[in-house]
Amino acid sequence: MKTPLKAIITFIGPSIILLLIFMLIPIIVSLTLSFTDFNVFAIYNWSNASFIGFQNYINLMKDPLFWRALLNTLYALVVAMPLTIILALSFAALINREATYFKNFFKVSFYLPSITNTVAIAIVWSWMLNPDYGLINWFLGLLGIKGPNWLGDPAWAMPSVIMLVVWKAVGYNIILFIAGLQNIPDYLYEAAELDGASRFQQFLHVTIPSLRPTIFFVTVMTIIGYLQLFEEPYMLTGGGPLDSTLSIVLYLYRQGFRFFKLGYASSIAFVLFIMIFALTFIQMKVGKNIEA
Amino acid sequence: MKKRFTIFSILVLIVALGFGTTKITIWAMGEEAKSLDKLAQLFMEEYPEYEVNIQAIPWANAYDKILTGIAGRQVPDVAQMGTTWMAPFGSMGAFENLDPYVKNSKIVKEEAFFRGSWETGKVDGKLLGIPWYVDTRVLYYRTDLLSEVGCDHAPQDWDELYDVAKKLAQKGKYGITLYQPQDNYQILLPFVWQNGGDILDSKGNVIVDQPEFVEAFEYYTRFFTEKLAPLGGGGNLFQDFATGDTPMFFSGPWMVSMIREQIPQIEGKWNVALMPKKKTRTSFMGGSDLVIFKDSKNKEGAWKFIEFLSRPDIQVKWYQLVNSLPASIEAWNNPILQADPMIALFGEQLFDAKAPINRPEFQEISVSIDRRVEEAIYGRKTPEGAAKDLKKDIEKILR
Amino acid sequence: MRKVKVSPIEQIVVHLILIIWLLISVIPFAWMLSTSFKGPGEIFIFPPRWIPKNPTLKNYKDLFQQMNFGRPFLNSVVVSLSTTFLSVLLATMAGYGFAKFNFKNKNTLFLLVLGTVMVPGQITMIPVFLLLTKLSLLNTYWGLILPAIANAFNIFFMRQFISGIPDELIEAAKMDGANEGWIFFKVIIPLSKPAMAAITIFTFTGSWNNFLWPLIIATDESMYTLPVAVSVLGGQYTENIAMQMAGSVIVILPLIIVFLFTQKYFIKGITFTGLKG
Repeated sequence: MKTPLKAIITFIGPSIILLLIFMLIPIIVSLTLSFTDFNVFAIYNWSNASFIGFQNYINLMKDPLFWRALLNTLYALVVAMPLTIILALSFAALINREATYFKNFFKVSFYLPSITNTVAIAIVWSWMLNPDYGLINWFLGLLGIKGPNWLGDPAWAMPSVIMLVVWKAVGYNIILFIAGLQNIPDYLYEAAELDGASRFQQFLHVTIPSLRPTIFFVTVMTIIGYLQLFEEPYMLTGGGPLDSTLSIVLYLYRQGFRFFKLGYASSIAFVLFIMIFALTFIQMKVGKNIEA
Repeated sequence: MKKRFTIFSILVLIVALGFGTTKITIWAMGEEAKSLDKLAQLFMEEYPEYEVNIQAIPWANAYDKILTGIAGRQVPDVAQMGTTWMAPFGSMGAFENLDPYVKNSKIVKEEAFFRGSWETGKVDGKLLGIPWYVDTRVLYYRTDLLSEVGCDHAPQDWDELYDVAKKLAQKGKYGITLYQPQDNYQILLPFVWQNGGDILDSKGNVIVDQPEFVEAFEYYTRFFTEKLAPLGGGGNLFQDFATGDTPMFFSGPWMVSMIREQIPQIEGKWNVALMPKKKTRTSFMGGSDLVIFKDSKNKEGAWKFIEFLSRPDIQVKWYQLVNSLPASIEAWNNPILQADPMIALFGEQLFDAKAPINRPEFQEISVSIDRRVEEAIYGRKTPEGAAKDLKKDIEKILR
Repeated sequence: MRKVKVSPIEQIVVHLILIIWLLISVIPFAWMLSTSFKGPGEIFIFPPRWIPKNPTLKNYKDLFQQMNFGRPFLNSVVVSLSTTFLSVLLATMAGYGFAKFNFKNKNTLFLLVLGTVMVPGQITMIPVFLLLTKLSLLNTYWGLILPAIANAFNIFFMRQFISGIPDELIEAAKMDGANEGWIFFKVIIPLSKPAMAAITIFTFTGSWNNFLWPLIIATDESMYTLPVAVSVLGGQYTENIAMQMAGSVIVILPLIIVFLFTQKYFIKGITFTGLKG
C-alpha cells in the first residue's frame, strides 16, 4: 500500500530540506572546486580560480603520499573495525544480561571515553604512550616486557593511534548495541529455551540474527567513520613518524587547510567519498541477500 | 583642580562613548587576548574616541577561524598573526599593505625593531605585518652536568657542542634533544643558517643541495645516528632535563618560566646560552605580528592601536603582563628587561635571529623539509640523499 | 521478565571481564581528574602520583576567575538542548518514514541521505560558513543549531531500529483507522524509546563538545560555548596542562549528568503483549 504524499512530506520533508541546504549544496560546491585549481590566491578572491578539468584527479593518482595515506587508512580500518565491533557487542551483551550487577555504573564508565574532549584525552594518551614515563610501558615492564617507543617508532605509531580510536569508539557502540538488544522480544528467547538451546546457542541463533539491523548500522557507520580517520593521528602524531600515521583525511586537511589547495583537497574528498559509497553499497546489497 | 579634571575626563569619556566612538575589533590568540584587554583599556584612556573590542581565539583553532573569516570576508580590523602564519595568510591578499602607514609614522619605523623580526612582516616584498612581540631559540643546558664532563661553560661552537653531547651521552643517557614531532624544520634551519646556507638564494634558486646546507644537515643527523639525541621525541622534556637524561636542548623564552615552575628542584643548576657558532650564531626568529585587514572599515583606528602597541613603554608593559619579549629594540634598554640575566640573553640573541623566507609556498616547503629530515634521522637515507630529494620536492612545489 | 539461572563461576568471570574494561576506560579519565588538582611541579613527576601530594583547587579557581562561565554555559545549554530535541524528533520522524513508508525511490532518497556523511566534514566547512553568512546567521543561536539538526547518522539509526518493529503492530493500528501521525505518536515513539535515548545521548554529547563551529560562527565572545571558552586559556607554547584538564572536567560533568538522567529510558521499550509471535 502506498503512503499518502502528505505523510511523506511531513515526516521526511523537514530532514531532507535541511540536509539539502546544509549538506548537499556545500558538497556540490566542493565537488565543483575539485575541478578547479582553487588555491591560496583564490580564498580571498574566488575569481582567481579557474577550471582545470580532471587535472587534480590525475595528479592525485600520481601522488605517492596519497597512496601512502590510503594504505595507512585501510590498515587502520581493517584492524580497528572488527576489534571495535567484537568488543562492543560482547560488552553490550554482558551488561545486558539479566544477572549482571551495577549495569548503569558499567554503562556510564564505558561511555566515558566517548564523551571526553579529544584534545584533552589525546594529551593523556600521549602521556600514557610515553616510552619512558608512560603507564603502558610501566605495565608491560611489570610483565617483563620492554615496551616500544609507541609514537616515535614508525612500526608502532599506527597501532598506538588504533588503540586510541578503538578505546574511544567501544563505549559508544555499546550504547547502540544495548538499544538493539533491548529491541529483541523476550518470546524469542523463551521459544529457544523451550527448544533446549543453551545460552550460547541462544546468543548465536536468536541474539545475532535479531540484532542484524543494528550490526548492519554499526558496520556501515564504523567503516564511514574509520575511513575518515583524522582527529586521533592529528592530535597524537600529526601523521608521522615517516608518514606512518598519515590518513586520507589528515592528508586532505594538510592540502586544504595548511597549503590552502582547496581544489586538490576536494578531489581527495571525492575519491574518498566514492570509496565509502562503493563499500556501503556493496554492504547494502549483501545485507539484503542475507535477509532475503 | 585635579578633581575637576577627573570629572571633565569622565564627562569627555561619557560623551565620547555615547556619541562618536569608533569600534576597533581585534582577534588575538589564547592567553595573549586575555591580557591584551588591559592594554586596550590604557589605549582607550588615551584615545577616548575609540572603543576596542577584543575577541579571544584559542591557539589550536585560530588557523581555521582566520581561514573561514577571510573566505567569508568576516574579519576584524586587526589580528594577531603568528610569524610563521604571515606567509600563508599574507599571500591570500586579505591584509592591508602597511608601507604607506609606516612612511608617515613617528613610532613604527624599520630601525626600531630587530631586523629578523621586521622581515617576518614582509610577504612577497610587501610589508603586511608589524612585529608585536618576538621569540627566539637559545641553548638550555645543565651547568652541573656539563662541568662533570669537564665543560665549565656553555658549548661555544659546533665542535664543542658535539663533543660535549658525546661525553654526556657516554656518561648518561643522551647528550641533547633535537627533535620535535612537528615543525622540526625550526630546529634544523638555524644550523643551516649558522653555516651560511639557506633554502633559496636571493635569485630564488633552490640551494638545499649546496655544501652549506648538506654539511649542516649531516651535522644535525649525526646526533641521531650516533644516539646522542633521542629519536622520536623520547620521554618528557622537563623530566629528562631534571633527571639529566637530556641535559641540553634548544627552545624559546617561554621555557625559562616553565622550567622554574615545573621542575624547581634543578634551580641554579641550569642556564641559557647563545646558539653555538659555526660561521654565525644565527637562531630562529618567531613571535607574533599585527596585521590590518583590507576589509576593515576603520583602518585609521586600527593603525593607531598598532602604533600604540609598538611604543617601547607599552612593549615593556606587555612583557610585564605575559612575559612576551619586546620586538622594539629600545624597550630592551629598560632595566625591567635587564633584571633577569636569562631574559637579557635572549635580547642578545635577537640581534642574530632570522625567519624563513615568507612565500606562499613556505608551508608546503616546511612539511617537505620535516619529511626528508625524518628520513635521514631514522636512517632511511643519507643526509646527502635526503637533501637531493628535498631539492626535487621544493622545485616541484615552486613550479 | 525472564529469570535465568546463572552459575556463580559465570558471574565472577563476567564481572571480572567488565571490571577489566572498566579500568581501561576509566584510567585515562582518572589521570585527567587527578592532574586537574595538581599544582606546577607535580604534573611531570615520575612515577606518576594518582593522588596529588599537594592537591590544589587553583586550576579550577583560575578557570573561574579568568573566564566568565555564565554566558558560555547558558549558550551551551540552549544550543545543545535545542539541537538535541529537534534532531531526535526529526530523525525519528524520518527514520519512521524510511522504515515503514512505501513510496517510489525511497531507497535512492535514503542513499542520498546516507551519502551526506560520506563526505569528510572538513571539506564542506567553508561553503557552509559562506552559506550562513549569506543567510545572516553568523553569531546567532540558529547558526549553531540549524546546520546540526538534520543528522543522517540519527536518521539511519532510527530507520534501522524502527524497521525492527513488527509491521503487525502498525497494520493493527491502521485497521482501527489510525493515520500516520497517530501511529507515530502512539506506536512508534513508545516503542522506540531505547533508540531515541541512544541518539539523544550522542547528539547531546556531540553538540555539547562541538567547538570548531561555535568558534567559527561567533563574531564576538558572547556567542562562545563552554568548550570554546575553556580552550581560549593557554598560550601558544605554554600550554597549562593542569588547567586544560580542569577545563575538560568541567565540560564533561554536565554530560555525565545528562547521561545518567537518560538512563531510565533504556528500559525495555517493547513488550509484545497481545501479539502472537
